[in-house]
Amino acid sequence: MRKEDSVKLISAEGFEFVIHKEAAMVSQIISNMLTSPGSFAETEHREVTFPEISTTILEKICQYFYWSLQYANGKETEFPIEPELTLELIMAANYLDT
Amino acid sequence: MEIQTESRLVRLCIEAACESRESVEKWRKQRRTLDSMPSHLADALLRRLFLRHLLFPSLLEAFKRSVEVVDLKGASNVDAEWMAYLGAFRYLRSLNLADCHRINNSALWSLVGMTSLKEVDISRCAKVTDAGIRHLVSISTLQILRISETGVTADGIKLLSSLANLIVLDLGDLPVTDTALSSLQALTKLDLAWTGVSRLPNLSSLECLNLSNCTINSVLQGNGNEAHLTKLICSGATFTNEAEAFLYFNTRFLSFLDVSNSSFNGFYFLHNLKAMEYLDLSGSMIGDDSIEAVASIGANLRNLNLSKTRVTSSGVAILVGHVPKLENLSLSHTPVDDLSVSCIGMMPSLKLVDLNNTIISGFIHQDGAEPNLISSLTALHSLKDLESLNLECPKMNDAAVDHLSSFQELRLLSLRSPSLTDISLHHLSSLPKIKNLRIRDAVLTDSGLFSFRPPATLEILDLRGCWLLTEDAILSFHKRHPLIEVRHEHVVYTSDQAACHRQPRTSQRLSQVNQKQEKLPVSQYFIDQRLKYTREELLALQFQSSSLGSPFDKSHAKPQMQSD
Repeated sequence: MRKEDSVKLISAEGFEFVIHKEAAMVSQIISNMLTSPGSFAETEHREVTFPEISTTILEKICQYFYWSLQYANGKETEFPIEPELTLELIMAANYLDT
Repeated sequence: MEIQTESRLVRLCIEAACESRESVEKWRKQRRTLDSMPSHLADALLRRLFLRHLLFPSLLEAFKRSVEVVDLKGASNVDAEWMAYLGAFRYLRSLNLADCHRINNSALWSLVGMTSLKEVDISRCAKVTDAGIRHLVSISTLQILRISETGVTADGIKLLSSLANLIVLDLGDLPVTDTALSSLQALTKLDLAWTGVSRLPNLSSLECLNLSNCTINSVLQGNGNEAHLTKLICSGATFTNEAEAFLYFNTRFLSFLDVSNSSFNGFYFLHNLKAMEYLDLSGSMIGDDSIEAVASIGANLRNLNLSKTRVTSSGVAILVGHVPKLENLSLSHTPVDDLSVSCIGMMPSLKLVDLNNTIISGFIHQDGAEPNLISSLTALHSLKDLESLNLECPKMNDAAVDHLSSFQELRLLSLRSPSLTDISLHHLSSLPKIKNLRIRDAVLTDSGLFSFRPPATLEILDLRGCWLLTEDAILSFHKRHPLIEVRHEHVVYTSDQAACHRQPRTSQRLSQVNQKQEKLPVSQYFIDQRLKYTREELLALQFQSSSLGSPFDKSHAKPQMQSD
């Protein structure tokens, strides 16, 4: 993965997830942050911090991004969600508009 | 509905959270997360739990600090215990308990003194009486109250006058007396359908009034301020004295009038309604002689429903030139013929035209030395905005449909005639924007459907009553065009599947469809259709289909695949 194709997402606890930019664009909010014309720090450094999203949830979100890409390409699998994560994930997904 | 507005991951999460009792137990103790959840998400989660039959009274407690909207309509198990928990919902804004038969007066006691509740619906909770209304009037924030078909009497309705913020009141089918109503002065919307009200007193702030199925003596009678009524619904009403009925209120602002299926006869009264935008006269006594009155108020008219009346083509001709803004016109079940179509072509703003069940054939017969056929439908080409056209006329044939194939803006086209064949289907494949195409009761064949190349915009193809089509032909069409929803007696969609139509789960849906079909008996409808034809005619049709099939097969041997 080349550096310019990747994005770094940082959780509340400081864990860093480096994922493909294409995957991150599944989220409308991240996509806006990375493509907005102004000089957001996010646009320049290709990293976004989410102080409200825990590591477990952010990991699940990243998995969803990749699953979503596969789904769009015709690989129709189920996306498993552990029941105990659902509430926090609902809120994170709502925030990220994904 | 709420769930559909959410993003996909939110939807998946809500599904996962409401998978089973066990999954609910995994998250219900996460109180802090539940309390901080935005209300629209909490509302959607609660709604899903309810629909999955996973909701029980003590689980409600988890939502008491987040939920604003609770819809329990039609739940037979909702009783006082549920209400005790709902009474503790701090931000509850809207509560729908319609058809919850266990709700009684003491159950409503839990709602006493709620501070944010604005909307309550207890329609058809027959156990609720005046004592229940006493509990409800303690909620001073109430704006919308629906208590139709409950046990409330005129005395209970009088109590409602203490609700200062009430703007919408539905009293359908209650024993409302005329005096009980005069105490309700602040209302802007009042629904009195199926009640015994006959003389409506003057409610000066009223804007919207539903008196359908009442016996009407007078509307808004009284001195002082005149009401500025904008919307009046009197469908199915009986007027005892029309001359007087509308004498007392200012009709200048009335823009919506529905007198469908009523005994309304005083069409001269229409002359005063200059602001009229929506006029429904369907099923009324109106005939060509009164159309003049409609034409005189046509300047702002957008919607005109004349279906099931005696209006003929000469009546339609009177409207030409007087309805510059008319967008929707319905003439279904009227004696209009092809001459009316040329008149309709001169109403420039039309978007939706309904000519269902008329004797329109698509051709005007010109008598003369040589009888001549002129297409009437070409007149509609001048309607640049025409989006929806219903021509379910049994006299339509393939030659008439040919003239429909060049409509540029048409989104919905509805045809229903036993004279239509594969040729019509072929003609219609050139409609550039069509989304919903209905060709019902036609003699379409398997090969005709096979060679049909649907326009890229097509979403729904309704072929119900096309009895020659086989199950295989429809399934194979569905396989080739998975994004098109096909409606036919051989394909059964549950409402849920229809709702998630166009989602990319077609393979799963198809297998479900397959399972369903095995259980389905052949409907009675088909048998009736077959009886209409003799053995000879059937054989002729069979021959026709194969002879038709081959030229199409040659021209586009490979059916176009829908690009996803």
